[in-house]
Amino acid sequence: MQHLAHVMPLDGHAAAAAIEVTDLDHVYANHDAEVAALADISFLVEAGRFVVIVGPSGCGKSTLLMILAGLRHATGGTVRCDGEPIARPDPHRVGVVFQEASLFPWLTALDNIEFPLVLRHVPREDRRRRALTMLELVGLAGFGEKYPHELSGGMKQRVSIARGLVQDPPVLLMDEPFAALDEQTRMTMGHELLRIWDETRKTILFVTHSLTEAVYLADEVLVMSARPGRIVDRIDITLARPRSYEMMATETFGRLRDRIWRQIRAAP
Amino acid sequence: MTGRQIVLARLGLLALVLAAWEALPRLEIVNPRLFPPLGEVLRVLAEILARADVQAGVAVTAGEVAVAFGLAVPLGALIGVAVAENDYLGRVFKPLFFFVFSVPKSIFLPMFILVFGIGFSQKVAFGIFSALFIVIMSATAAVESVRAEHVLVARSCGATRWQILTRVYMPSMLPILLETLRISMIFTLTGVILAEMYASRTGVGSLIGNWGENFMMRQLFAGVLLLALIAILINESVRLLEARCSTWRT
Repeated sequence: MQHLAHVMPLDGHAAAAAIEVTDLDHVYANHDAEVAALADISFLVEAGRFVVIVGPSGCGKSTLLMILAGLRHATGGTVRCDGEPIARPDPHRVGVVFQEASLFPWLTALDNIEFPLVLRHVPREDRRRRALTMLELVGLAGFGEKYPHELSGGMKQRVSIARGLVQDPPVLLMDEPFAALDEQTRMTMGHELLRIWDETRKTILFVTHSLTEAVYLADEVLVMSARPGRIVDRIDITLARPRSYEMMATETFGRLRDRIWRQIRAAP
Repeated sequence: MTGRQIVLARLGLLALVLAAWEALPRLEIVNPRLFPPLGEVLRVLAEILARADVQAGVAVTAGEVAVAFGLAVPLGALIGVAVAENDYLGRVFKPLFFFVFSVPKSIFLPMFILVFGIGFSQKVAFGIFSALFIVIMSATAAVESVRAEHVLVARSCGATRWQILTRVYMPSMLPILLETLRISMIFTLTGVILAEMYASRTGVGSLIGNWGENFMMRQLFAGVLLLALIAILINESVRLLEARCSTWRT
């Protein structure tokens, strides 16, 4: 394993970190056997950065995201968001966007976006105003009254993103949000996500198994090994912003993607 | 074919059946003593509906069905949810329910008469027994139709247990629950009527049974028509509710 000392500047400007993960371990019981899902994970994400986690399937990257969202409790280590530990889900601090099929089919697009606000008893008019703003942000103005089954896969994920952002959390976690989409839609959605990120300046932690997607979107990529998941590499993506499709054909892009692939393949 | 043409075709079919019912016995193509014409049956229906004993019979049957339905649905739903939510209970009880579900309930009727007699309680007990297992199976299916992703989303939005129950479980289960109400009503009605026809001194089923045994075909057909109309009315009103609540169902 590569030495990672330079990855974790735990001293100095730690207070500026939006996400701070220290010595995280996670073990779960499966049919009386203990499975180590995550081992010895530490990293920092600075505010406003777009960080992508890639790794082979089953490496625990989704588990890591669940822990960051407060949906699961790690068996060891600490997770902080803006300096505060995350004990339970808190949509004010951390928004989550899941894979496709996470919208409630009995609610319209607008009602889906308002869902987190309804749970907090936000007044109706206030709710609607914020949901409409979000709908516009994700490029779906005019589709608010549609039900999920009337929307395409890409549109559904736009609604999911709007739902994740409606409480204006500083951090947005995304668990393979475009995995179920076809390649063309996926490219468009990646581009759209970068635009939304640029407008909102959120800190985004994005999990994927697509190397191309990782390089295209990220400021930095964290590479995870197979189970138990460890972070085996951290790569700064030096490509200029705004990103464009043409960049994918460049040598730099290819070299970065190649490096991630070699890390995944070489990891034990 | 447009929707309107289909509706017209259906109405045409209904008119044809009713016309045949009227015409065939009158022309003596079928035996009118066995198969009285529609006009006769409707006249007798109006007549018997005015009779005190028939009115009392309808009231008794309605009471039995209402009580049986009112007990079978919550009881079955409770058992169904317990079986779906608790892994241990599910593994122990599910096969049993499945087996009993597949057995025709009518073969147990003599036992119910031995235990409960032939009064109100026997009709109610057999009505519950007829509907209980379908309610259990449907309630289990309803709970299992709740998607884990939806619960996860709600939790990530900070939902409390109560909010998850009311805002995720209930709407997820609603279409199947409404369907369950409809089907269990049919099963309860079938059970009660069967019990009344088999051994009873009161209720619409017992009246119909008597008319049949005494070869009173016009009364028999009037009773059948009455029950059919009631059953269709109940079924369609729940179905209407169902359609309104599940426009999103795909």
